[in-house]
Amino acid sequence: MGKISEAETKLEKISAPRTNREFIDACVKSGDAVRIKQEVDWDNEAGAIVRRCCELGEAAPFMENIKDYPGFSYFGAPLSTYRRMAISLGMDPASTLPQIGAEYLKRTNSEPIEPVVIDKRDAPCKENILLGDDVDLTKLPVPLVHDGDGGRYVGTWHAVITKHPVRGDVNWGMYRQMMWDGRTMSGAVFPFSDLGKALTEYYLPRGEGCPFATAIGLSPLAAMAACAPSPIPEPELTGMLAGEAVRLVKCETNDLEVPADAEIIIEGMILPDYKVEEGPFGEYTGYRTSPRDFRVTFRVDAITYRNNATMTISNMGVPQDEGQLLRSFSLGLELEKLLKSQGIPVTGVYMHPRSTHHMMIVGVKPTYAGIAMQIAQLAFGSKLGPWFHMVMVVDDQTDIFNWDEVYHAFCTRCNPERGIHVFKNTTGTALYPHATPHDRKYSIGSQVLFDCLWPVDWDKTNDVPTLVSFKSVYPKDIQEKVVDNWANYGFRGAKK
Amino acid sequence: MANKWEVFVMDLGELAEGKQLELTVRTLNDGLQKYTYQRAKVEVSSKLDQFPDSLQVRLGRGQLSPQRYSIRVIETVNRLPERYR
Repeated sequence: MGKISEAETKLEKISAPRTNREFIDACVKSGDAVRIKQEVDWDNEAGAIVRRCCELGEAAPFMENIKDYPGFSYFGAPLSTYRRMAISLGMDPASTLPQIGAEYLKRTNSEPIEPVVIDKRDAPCKENILLGDDVDLTKLPVPLVHDGDGGRYVGTWHAVITKHPVRGDVNWGMYRQMMWDGRTMSGAVFPFSDLGKALTEYYLPRGEGCPFATAIGLSPLAAMAACAPSPIPEPELTGMLAGEAVRLVKCETNDLEVPADAEIIIEGMILPDYKVEEGPFGEYTGYRTSPRDFRVTFRVDAITYRNNATMTISNMGVPQDEGQLLRSFSLGLELEKLLKSQGIPVTGVYMHPRSTHHMMIVGVKPTYAGIAMQIAQLAFGSKLGPWFHMVMVVDDQTDIFNWDEVYHAFCTRCNPERGIHVFKNTTGTALYPHATPHDRKYSIGSQVLFDCLWPVDWDKTNDVPTLVSFKSVYPKDIQEKVVDNWANYGFRGAKK
Repeated sequence: MANKWEVFVMDLGELAEGKQLELTVRTLNDGLQKYTYQRAKVEVSSKLDQFPDSLQVRLGRGQLSPQRYSIRVIETVNRLPERYR
């Protein structure tokens, strides 16, 4: 009881940036964003800057002078480092990944915080409203993110907002959106996603259009919520992460509610019986994989935006960008919640962003036979499953955040015959580079478990090999003596 | 002034010469409309001086083809159902 009260008290002290603008200011102040005053071209140049920032782990570029689009700006790579993720949560930028993860778990295990709907007059996103013939996506500084992309991408770091027509569930999801013409966007919506299910189960069979709103330039925590595979509705999840209710406002042309502090809102209808081409696009796997195809088509009815609106850009490609970082982070933590809810003695779950969120590393106390298989079945069978295809299970003595230890465990303990289990005919995505063209087209997947646990039926004294490392084989007093004398021996390395 | 266009194809064989084609092409003319698409009836030719406009080609994963064409846009085609316009 005492612990719960303490946690609740800490939640009240959250001082996370409430808007994209507050977030940019905080990042500039800490040195995690740079203001670029010189003119930047929306045609490739802005994308190239963001890509290079991702690959170098640089500060986020805040580009204030966009060619052809006076008054608009770009903020690129908003959450492509753990430092900026910590800032978004109102934490010290130097916080470690386990600390950030613990804070995320604490907040997302708290009580949901309902959003509040505010008056249109108080909503910054209504400062400019384009309706009717004025609606034209080319009035927005939509960037060509990568040379050779199928088009200029409106939505790379955003939320597509829809509501289930029967259940009323609100969904904020990051479904990429390409500008086809001034009134039309096309996007990749996987059939297993929340929006994909709503379209195929309800709207398409009835021939009904699905109202949508795209919110760009969200607060970083709203973007985090839109990216997270959590069962909690994103408006409530955003409130839990921020420690206060998110402010919503009603759309101009449909009944959806959108984040009032977002920079840009695009409203319209997903058409049930008309499709245009989408892609190719540089994707989070580090490749252009999914083929150009006729995809879900969004017809635009209204655009609203703040004065001096900032468009957020995520440039996906080789690691690491915020798609990889944030999805790895939230997928790992959501799986940890799931496994713990089933009573499995996991010691931690981690996805390295450089796996492009394809490999889940699970640490567990190997207390009974088949525990790795149970973990894999839960992981692959859950809503999270289609987003990764490898689960590696290691014991609780292996540091899951230390790739050297994990790799050593994998290479030495995973028996080629008994430790590798392939799951066939599962759910995949069109974006998997290793998938066949046929599998990509129909979202057919395959997945694999790497069981790196010593078998429980091996005699622990005589059959299980002994790990030979400095920390594991020498007596404590010898370890301390050697460490204390390290410099005296003539070594220059730091004490460890 | 001649217009610049671009098209995505899986195979250059899709760009048959000597007959009318219906393609989804995007403009490469400088300006706010750059990279926006339209559906159009066109003729293409590998002879670069055959038609007034130029056409460059990208393949399935965005690779720029070295093969260039000239193109004549005969008319645009609006396939969007009337009820959505």
